[in-house]
Amino acid sequence: MAMSDKDDMPGLEVFFDAARRHAAEPSAALMARIDEDAQAVQALAQRPAPQSTRRSTLSSQLYRLLGGWPAMTGLATAAVAGVWLGISLPEGILDGTSDAAYLVDVAPELAFDLAGGDF
Amino acid sequence: MPLDTMSDEPDEVLLVLFANGNASAARALTARLTPRVMGHAYRLLGNHAEAEDVTQEAMLRLWKIAPDWRQGEAKVTTWLYRVVANLCTDLRRRARGVALDSIPEPEDGRASVTDHMQAEARAEALQTALDQLPDRQRQAVVLRHIEGLANPEIAEIMDITTEAVESLTARGKRALTAALAGRQEELGYGDE
Repeated sequence: MAMSDKDDMPGLEVFFDAARRHAAEPSAALMARIDEDAQAVQALAQRPAPQSTRRSTLSSQLYRLLGGWPAMTGLATAAVAGVWLGISLPEGILDGTSDAAYLVDVAPELAFDLAGGDF
Repeated sequence: MPLDTMSDEPDEVLLVLFANGNASAARALTARLTPRVMGHAYRLLGNHAEAEDVTQEAMLRLWKIAPDWRQGEAKVTTWLYRVVANLCTDLRRRARGVALDSIPEPEDGRASVTDHMQAEARAEALQTALDQLPDRQRQAVVLRHIEGLANPEIAEIMDITTEAVESLTARGKRALTAALAGRQEELGYGDE
């Protein structure tokens, strides 16, 4: 059977007992510093998350309303395409000699009836 | 909750209250744990000023971990003993690196002690002998024989098996016995 801790070296127990009765005490200054640390950590944890101090302008609200940068990209693309079409419209489309190409009345009798038929 | 009503609350409960901003819990934990941490740090370091620094740092780490403390995983004191040991190891490692020669030799001859100072002298003699032990032996002996912890808890703190704890404490005590052999009569061992 194994001997207990106290049985194997009895002389040491006197010293261990003395050590237990003469422990190093924390100074008042240390206790105060630890208290201050505790308060600081608590204060930091209790502080609400910082909110943006920047005021929201009308343009930024509109920007967010439209969907942010993805929507803005689409709008910009559509605008550029519109400008390009306006500048470089194919000449043949508005050419007076090619009216027949797009002014074809496929049902002239119907148009007549609607315009001047009996009501 | 007033401080005096918190004296019976477990450390873990006080830590939760602390994390919720309770100032009384902070004071109760400080009053309860700081002397224990300080005593342990001093026994591992043998230097009062360094022990105070380690104590403040260990307690600061406790405050910071409070919101993330997981109930039931470890005792607060177990966690603290571990943190103190790590901080002491770091401190000793740095000290060895920069000032090996500046560490004073233990006093060889000591003035005869009066009866009323006998216990204090024994405590000092033990501390001097503890300072000569390897770090792990010192930690195991202090936790087992001065802090009075059970071997399984020491094993958890030191992250080793209980058999390894027993081996460390046995070797540590043999070394202490040898170191203190010549001083037992001087320090009144025969009176016990």
